[in-house]
Amino acid sequence: MSIRHLWAVIRKELQHILRDRGTFLLVLVTPTLVLLLMTYSLAVEIQHVPIALLDYDQSATSREFIYQITAGDDLDLYQNAASMEEVEDLLIKGKIKAAIIIGPEFSSDLLAMRGLSLQIIIDGTEPETGGFAVDHIGWRAEAFANEVLAEQILASGISLDSLEPIDLRIRSWYNPSLEPRVDIVPGLLSIVLGFPAFSVALTLAREHEHSTMEQLLATPISRIELLLGKMIPYILAGLVNVIVIPIIAMAWFNVPFNGNFIEFLLLSTLFLFAELSMGMIIGVFMKSQSAALALSFLVVLFPGFFLTGIFFPIAALPEMARMESMFLPGTHYAIITRGVFLPGIGIDTLWPYAIMLVILGLAFTGTAALFFKKKLA
Amino acid sequence: MTNKEFIQITDLTRVFKDNIALDSINLTIQEGELFGLVGPDGAGKTTLLRTLAGLLGITNGEVRQAGYELHKSTEAVKSEIGYMAQEFSLYGKLSVLENLRFFGEMYDVPAQIQKERIPGLLSFAQLTDFTDRRAAKLSGGMKKKLALACTLLHQPPILLLDEPTTGVDPVSRREFWTILNDLHLEGTTIIVSTPYMDEADRCSRVGLIYQGKIVECDSPEKIRGKVDGEFIKVVTHDWQKAREIIQPLKGILEIQTYGEALHILVDSAAKHIGRIRKTLKRNELDITEIRIVKPRMEEAFISLIRKIDQAN
Repeated sequence: MSIRHLWAVIRKELQHILRDRGTFLLVLVTPTLVLLLMTYSLAVEIQHVPIALLDYDQSATSREFIYQITAGDDLDLYQNAASMEEVEDLLIKGKIKAAIIIGPEFSSDLLAMRGLSLQIIIDGTEPETGGFAVDHIGWRAEAFANEVLAEQILASGISLDSLEPIDLRIRSWYNPSLEPRVDIVPGLLSIVLGFPAFSVALTLAREHEHSTMEQLLATPISRIELLLGKMIPYILAGLVNVIVIPIIAMAWFNVPFNGNFIEFLLLSTLFLFAELSMGMIIGVFMKSQSAALALSFLVVLFPGFFLTGIFFPIAALPEMARMESMFLPGTHYAIITRGVFLPGIGIDTLWPYAIMLVILGLAFTGTAALFFKKKLA
Repeated sequence: MTNKEFIQITDLTRVFKDNIALDSINLTIQEGELFGLVGPDGAGKTTLLRTLAGLLGITNGEVRQAGYELHKSTEAVKSEIGYMAQEFSLYGKLSVLENLRFFGEMYDVPAQIQKERIPGLLSFAQLTDFTDRRAAKLSGGMKKKLALACTLLHQPPILLLDEPTTGVDPVSRREFWTILNDLHLEGTTIIVSTPYMDEADRCSRVGLIYQGKIVECDSPEKIRGKVDGEFIKVVTHDWQKAREIIQPLKGILEIQTYGEALHILVDSAAKHIGRIRKTLKRNELDITEIRIVKPRMEEAFISLIRKIDQAN
């Protein structure tokens, strides 16, 4: 391998990244931008869900219950309905996402410890919001019932301590408040760093489209010099993102970064090598930029979402998909980023994933080099 | 001592799916020749040049260039060749100088030698004032000259140029050919394809490629002499009517039109010139000019291709 050839291609490609606006945006701006957008849209906390109440009990207890239900920011009382028809009308018009119907026996059942006669109706067209409403109404109702019952028990002279044989204390490590952002940002990193892989796929196709490939193939450059020369500049561009994104994550989203940054850079380089090699395979087969882009979505972006365990646990995937996920660099990198950001673990623990990335990178680059012919047809 | 058979092509065949692009081509080019490759679009000019440049595989046959067997040492022979693709194929985002340097690196020209050669090439290609301009922003003629300069930096003994002057204005074309003549004088072996017949006339030897075969290969002089018959040039005030009248006459092989002038191919000019003159006068057509002319390259080729088509 000639270092001169390699360096000449790297320099030319870097000049292209810096001078071509489209490439510049795709490689250096898009990852951060997509990360910001996705973090905001995925980490939304649902609030102020409008609900209606239909109180058949009309007792002091039911009024107290209604007051407690709507005391927080999560559920807002949109209307006190007078009939089931009214509830239905409000649901159909989309004015409310859930309705609570308090049965006529509500207070008597509660005081007699026969449970809560409550009915919750949710708008099934928005299961996310509906589910949220059910959960929150459930928690509040439980708290309310416990309170009422505790009063009763106390009044009857029984000590409360003797009634709780199990003292379960759940503690979430590393992300004590279970804030979704803290988990989403490290996970998304493996997806947004796929954009430089798009560029690698596009850069070979572009040479074909502009017939510069014809001129390039007429020179004595070797296949591996050309492929590595095409890949290394985009690894460097990817590393710029690897530096910028944790800074934004810490400064903007208050995501803690507890690991060793140098180790993180090294592991990220391995990931970029493996991920960009996938782009290289696409570039070797696709002779037009539009085809290369379409295939990149299919091969790099979508599996990155669904199969790397970021949003859906890998253990829950069917066996075939689980196997496929092992061949995706993102799967291993997602474990690395989550480990480095939150618990702050390092290479001493994460090395098996690093080795997987190296193996995948070598296998993908080898495949690309095998199928890349220095011929036009 | 010059190497007699610098480029030797034996039974070269290249098949694309079901299309025979090159059909057992045999051609020998000597060192220092300026060889013109002409032929209609789709005849196989580009395929032949790309094959010689090592960009296409060979279906059958052999190619030897500068002592290298093409299919055995494709990569080694590339250093001996300067190939210029038909379409603009340099990096638009790089400047004139950066493009030159890039290809200098690709061909392993040492930095010091690049420094020495680049100013010469720039002035040679008349690009000295545009060194820092992005290649995408050059005019058509300048792009072609830059592409040529990029193929010359490693001083290859063989130059393969695929229609280097297509889409270039006449002034730039002339400049381009001046450069080629200089290279020819320096002893570079050049194969140049062109759709322009006046350019074919500037070559030391010309090969006519048609339907994947070399159908004629000789000096421009001799190719012109291969036309069976002679041309009579006739200019009248109504060329369309004149054409209609002359066409059915006996012994008229073919008529080519050049503006107002008709070039009439006949087996013997002396035999027919009088008869044509008489016929035109009888039809009350004023003759401005009627004389025997030497066949031009273009006429020679059109005539040769017609003959092949008729034989098929």
